[in-house]
Amino acid sequence: MNIIISNLLIFVSLGFMIFGIIGIFRFKDFYARILISSKVETVGFLTIMVGLMFRTGISYSTMKIMLICLLAIITNPLSTHAIARSAYLSGYKTGKEN
Amino acid sequence: MNVLEAVLTVISILTALVLVRVIIGPTIWDRLLGLNMISAKIIMSIIILAVLTERTYLMDVALAYSVLGFIGTILIARFVEKKGEF
Repeated sequence: MNIIISNLLIFVSLGFMIFGIIGIFRFKDFYARILISSKVETVGFLTIMVGLMFRTGISYSTMKIMLICLLAIITNPLSTHAIARSAYLSGYKTGKEN
Repeated sequence: MNVLEAVLTVISILTALVLVRVIIGPTIWDRLLGLNMISAKIIMSIIILAVLTERTYLMDVALAYSVLGFIGTILIARFVEKKGEF
């Protein structure tokens, strides 16, 4: 039973990842690109981790995956913010690209 | 073909696509964004590999890698923002 749920969650997270890739290539502007792709990427990451948690059941490895999920929740948005902030502060103006 | 092996191949294909954005990326920050996404994908594939082959010590590798990837991204972003002199 838990195998079915984990497979379902893994396929959903693959869908999120594909949206992240589409988000990177479709948008012409850097800020729109980073806004969409990092958000969808983090959600895809968390979904696949929860899917793997179902697969390993209650054990130490599930605790490790939870720890990595917690770390990803904290670090991913922070690093994306750092990138966007450095782009903004060093004067990267939108619309210069296209 | 196990489900997890299929997922690993799909993730590596997606990593190659993100690599295209890192190569094309007009600005440095696009490249940083691409590197950020590639490191997230690498962490995913490490953990899938750990679950697939039941080697739980690989998850500690993924934990260390995600911390170091985060610190690297922050440092590069600050380095670019301060234009070289910290």
